[in-house]
Amino acid sequence: MLPQASDSWTLGEAAHLLNRAGFGGSPQEIQKLHALGRIKAVDSLLNPTEPIGAIPVPLWATREQAIADMRERAEQRRMVQEATRTLSAEEAEKVRKETFQAIQRENRERGIEAQGWWFRAMLLTQAPLREKMTLFWHDHFATSLQKVRQPALLMLQNDLFRRHATGNFRQLTHAVLRDPAMMLYLDTQSSKRGKPNENFAREVMELFTLGEGHYTELDIREASRAFTGYQLNRSDATVRHNKRQWDEGDKTIFGKTGKFTGDDIIDLIFEKPEAAKLLAGKLWEYFAAEGPSPETIEALAATLRSAKYETAPVLREIFLSKAFYAEGVVRNQIKSPVQYFIQLLKQLELREAPQGYTRLALEQLGQSLFQPPNVAGWDWGKAWINTNTLLARYNLAGFITKGSQEAPASPPMAREDAMNPEAGMDSPDAAKAVAKAAKKKTPGDRMSNVTTVAARFWRGPDYEKIVPRALRKRPEEMVDAMIFRFLQTTLPAKHRDRFVALAKEKEGVVFTNHEVAELAHFMLSTPDYQLT
Amino acid sequence: MKTRRDFLRSTLLGASATWTLPMFVERTFAQLHGDAKDLAVQPVTGKDGPILVVLQLAGGNDGLNTLVPFGDDAYHRARPKLAKSEKQILKLSDYAGLNASMPWLASQFHEGDLAIVQGVGYPNPNRSHFVSTSIWETADPANRSNTGWLGRYFDNACPGSDPTVGISFNKTQPESFGALKNPGICLSSPELYRWIHGDKTPSAEEFFAELNRPDKEDPPVEGSSIAMPAGGKTGGVHGESNLDFLERVALDAQISSAKILEIAAKHKTRIPYDGNPLARSLNLVARMIAGKLPTRVFYVSHGGFDTHNNQGNTHDRLLGQLDSALKSFMADLKEQGNADRVVVMTFSEFGRRVGENASGGTDHGQGSCLFTLGQPVKGGFYGKHPSLTDLADGDLRFTTDFRGIYATVLEDWLKTPSKPVLNGSFAKLGFIS
Repeated sequence: MLPQASDSWTLGEAAHLLNRAGFGGSPQEIQKLHALGRIKAVDSLLNPTEPIGAIPVPLWATREQAIADMRERAEQRRMVQEATRTLSAEEAEKVRKETFQAIQRENRERGIEAQGWWFRAMLLTQAPLREKMTLFWHDHFATSLQKVRQPALLMLQNDLFRRHATGNFRQLTHAVLRDPAMMLYLDTQSSKRGKPNENFAREVMELFTLGEGHYTELDIREASRAFTGYQLNRSDATVRHNKRQWDEGDKTIFGKTGKFTGDDIIDLIFEKPEAAKLLAGKLWEYFAAEGPSPETIEALAATLRSAKYETAPVLREIFLSKAFYAEGVVRNQIKSPVQYFIQLLKQLELREAPQGYTRLALEQLGQSLFQPPNVAGWDWGKAWINTNTLLARYNLAGFITKGSQEAPASPPMAREDAMNPEAGMDSPDAAKAVAKAAKKKTPGDRMSNVTTVAARFWRGPDYEKIVPRALRKRPEEMVDAMIFRFLQTTLPAKHRDRFVALAKEKEGVVFTNHEVAELAHFMLSTPDYQLT
Repeated sequence: MKTRRDFLRSTLLGASATWTLPMFVERTFAQLHGDAKDLAVQPVTGKDGPILVVLQLAGGNDGLNTLVPFGDDAYHRARPKLAKSEKQILKLSDYAGLNASMPWLASQFHEGDLAIVQGVGYPNPNRSHFVSTSIWETADPANRSNTGWLGRYFDNACPGSDPTVGISFNKTQPESFGALKNPGICLSSPELYRWIHGDKTPSAEEFFAELNRPDKEDPPVEGSSIAMPAGGKTGGVHGESNLDFLERVALDAQISSAKILEIAAKHKTRIPYDGNPLARSLNLVARMIAGKLPTRVFYVSHGGFDTHNNQGNTHDRLLGQLDSALKSFMADLKEQGNADRVVVMTFSEFGRRVGENASGGTDHGQGSCLFTLGQPVKGGFYGKHPSLTDLADGDLRFTTDFRGIYATVLEDWLKTPSKPVLNGSFAKLGFIS
């Protein structure tokens, strides 16, 4: 057990917890959490009152509709086959092409809608740790639309992660074995007796549970035979274990021999002590800091083992540990693009992002939801930052804080949020104007055009509320309040003084919303702001 | 040897400011280091040294329909739909010819400026796009390296260097640029490669520059060597704090942004280019070279080569775009008088299977061919064309290790020892004259 911190805590510590266990919040939200005391605050994050499903998914992503759609696809495939038999080769090709193009188009649109939906769920949820853990599992059990190609299956997987968000790691791994999106992503679907595919067997050991060095190539080959026969029924999204396609022979894994199934292998994996270590280390890195000491890992792994792989006790131990609030941990994590963007919107008390903007902005910053780069998930930390992404962040901040001034770094397009009634700026006018701008001239111009047009419809934050007029008459207080809002810390005197000087230049005249936005953009266009 | 600090100081002093500000520069740097003005020249990354353009063909280029072994019956047998007949190619020998979409490259072969390396690959090939790309970019077939081969070149051969030593025209940093000290920069569009701010008054820009300047002038690890472990993630330096790292990138962005915007605005090209992304990227490369950036390596990408379905037209079109973009680029360099300074090298993460698949496409394979192009190149065929009948699991067996190509480029073109960059010795191929 890691040494635990006392119940009393500072406002800065409360902000740190909300930033890491969630996506941050406004000063009021931080104060509310702080008032609970450390222990109750952690428990409130672990046991949210908001039910799963409070933010409804698009209709097509519900299980019932997904199954109905899969049936329809199966029917369409039959019709295409029928056409091949009855029509001329040319006509049949035409039917085939039209059918599959329509399906592809629909999948593309739904993929965009799924990304927008999850982004909004992370922004609006009252159960931030649940969403943050859902993102953790998405990175851990990485699965990409690029290969799976069926957004409904990714959304069902997302739902699985959300239900197990702070649940049992071992049970979740069993569920992932039978998760349709994962089966397509790591080829379990096509792994059959006599022709086993090693993909899932390898990744389940290397990336999901044990880590390199804790299994042999022979273990993988043998395990791959056990992972045969799992089949996704494409007409109802159910998965069953088809004994006829399963290699029922003896397999020897970790020195044990038996007629193992895939589930047996997962049970054998979880009997090994390393299964707890990999996850314990990853949780610490995700929430606290890179490079945990062997003692930290072992302490958390022991908790995980004694809790029979329930994750909630480990998370509780992390969030209540002294080490989590230590210098070098607090304000020393490079924000992921999702964290950066959601946290920014929450700090500005915004409940929406500019139309069509989020998906392209996240793509530019290097973290497209449902599209991790490979099965190992994203590279975190410093890998998020290069000269291009850093400038893109600065310009994103400019667009969000100011909207109507100048083109931001990313080219918003019309589609994404336009489809969703929850989205901001969803007037048909805005959608049309942005779409029209997207069609213009060369891409370089298009970027500027689109962003300029999108900006006309973006109102930006409510500065009257965030920085009230009365506060603007007291420059030092205003600057300190804004620094707390964005950084939840104090700045080196040198920087603070410059902000104060900038604010004081306007003393005696009205400090307009425009000037507040300028000041905010300055604070956000800094290396400091990339940390949380 | 100049330190990074000297360099940054002199660059800021010399920068004609867009948003790096004269006032800021004068007051802070100049007062502290009045003698720094003399040091405004970069000894290593000079403005007339050799330049390498790395051109990625992303997705796995089908080598067999790029350099077509039309004289081999096995080729026609394996590809009843996709095989090119003798009439559909530009013959380079009795055995092989270029896909007819590349007339200009064929002319360069005949003029002796195009080298084609055949059968390129590496041991124990991996058919994952990600893993294989990573292997090519890190030059590590074990796929364990945290740094890229070009990043190791920057670190090893370009000390104290300018952040523009390497420029990638991509949204994200290519793995090959991963470095301990200086990973170069990435930009997707010069117009957007700047801090965009409504307030254009000098004080606003000065303030921004100050906020984005490191408090400590020295980077924490000066003179790191190749033997040092990386920070575990591409781009990081071992022992460097997150804030130090962010400040370093912010400063690199500032310095390079000012220069790049200035050059992009000043140097337009008279040679017509196509409108596709590759042509646009190469156009930018040409303008950056014309603007005398001290860049050693430019990195551009041409995507879409993952041709699993109905490959025919798609693949021909992609190769046509490559041909046309390179033709414009080389003409541009010639007009500038820089044609003798530039070598272009293509690469792709793998070739494709010998046999076509049921959907009129080809699946991920192994060995493939690779081009190096430019006046300094000694044209012709290099490496042995792999057998189309002695296959490894349906794939061509590689005959030339890709690291031999890197070694040739590093030693004979960039004039640097290849061993510390590639962590081993690889036989050179002799395609640089």
